[in-house]
Amino acid sequence: MPHFAICAVGADRPGIVAAVTGALLDAGGNLEDTSMTILGGHFAMMLVIAADAGAEELEAALSAPASAFDLTVIVRTIEEGVHESPEGEPWTASIYGADRPGIVHRFATALAGHDVNIVDLTTRVIGEPDRPVYAMVLDLSVPKGTDAGALQADLADLAGDLGVECTLHPVEVDIL
Amino acid sequence: MPVRTVLALPDHRVKETSVPVEVIDAPARALAADLVDTMRASPACVGLAAPQIGVLLRAFVVDVTGHKKAHSCHGEVVLFNPEVLVAHDPIVAREGCMSVPQLTGDVARATAVVMRGLTPEGTERVILADAFEARALLHELDHLDGFLFLDRVVSADAVFHRKVYR
Repeated sequence: MPHFAICAVGADRPGIVAAVTGALLDAGGNLEDTSMTILGGHFAMMLVIAADAGAEELEAALSAPASAFDLTVIVRTIEEGVHESPEGEPWTASIYGADRPGIVHRFATALAGHDVNIVDLTTRVIGEPDRPVYAMVLDLSVPKGTDAGALQADLADLAGDLGVECTLHPVEVDIL
Repeated sequence: MPVRTVLALPDHRVKETSVPVEVIDAPARALAADLVDTMRASPACVGLAAPQIGVLLRAFVVDVTGHKKAHSCHGEVVLFNPEVLVAHDPIVAREGCMSVPQLTGDVARATAVVMRGLTPEGTERVILADAFEARALLHELDHLDGFLFLDRVVSADAVFHRKVYR
């Protein structure tokens, strides 16, 4: 069955999820992996769905909730339903400090330089409006054989350059 | 005793409430042996509950020997009809479960537990456990009531993909 990537964003209010998923259900869609959250007061939905339909049909089906909730909606066909990410060990990085442009890009570039895959990333601007603090938490997949010391050192150097704090640690998962 | 198949979602048996073991007899001891052998067959596994092998009886095994987060360690602990007498000081840590492949989740559990149950010899045993052993005991006890870590995750963004553990 064809798969689709769908993004929908709009000012947050109750009923968005119900309306969007209802329209997709009626169009023959089945939700698979999804992530939905509030970003800066906007409710942002990212969905991978399977549907026996075309992208145009899904867009048409979503036009009613899009206009009712003033949502920006994008539908794209994707090649594979489930794409395997590179294997690696789970690590988490926490980075925070005075807000300035380029924090995400600089750290993402440093991580890519070590072939570290970012598998989840959340950023929040917190603190007072005149003293904003940028906080970023990343879930990482670190390839086996990575020089963890060199990775830590590179990120620490970068944190020093940017004047932010950075901690990096393996995630210990206990199988019970 | 045989290594049994560990059931995983969506098998409904891991969501059932198990019933007490009436008598600690030979079949009960055979169940205990199967639990131990099946747990041992997965090196990363530190505990297994009877419903995970399709037996809806209140029994589990835990062994945190050698685990770096363990403080108290009672070695191989098999308990029938376990109950919590005291549980306090919860902390959040990431758990995985043989019955929920491909996901892990952050769960708050007590770090100090007093648990009582019956041994395979039929005698009462009271265990005072802390740190990781307390978490393991509470995780396994949850299985007897049909609760998985997914029922206890601290928030929607506290569930993560993981490699499949074998």
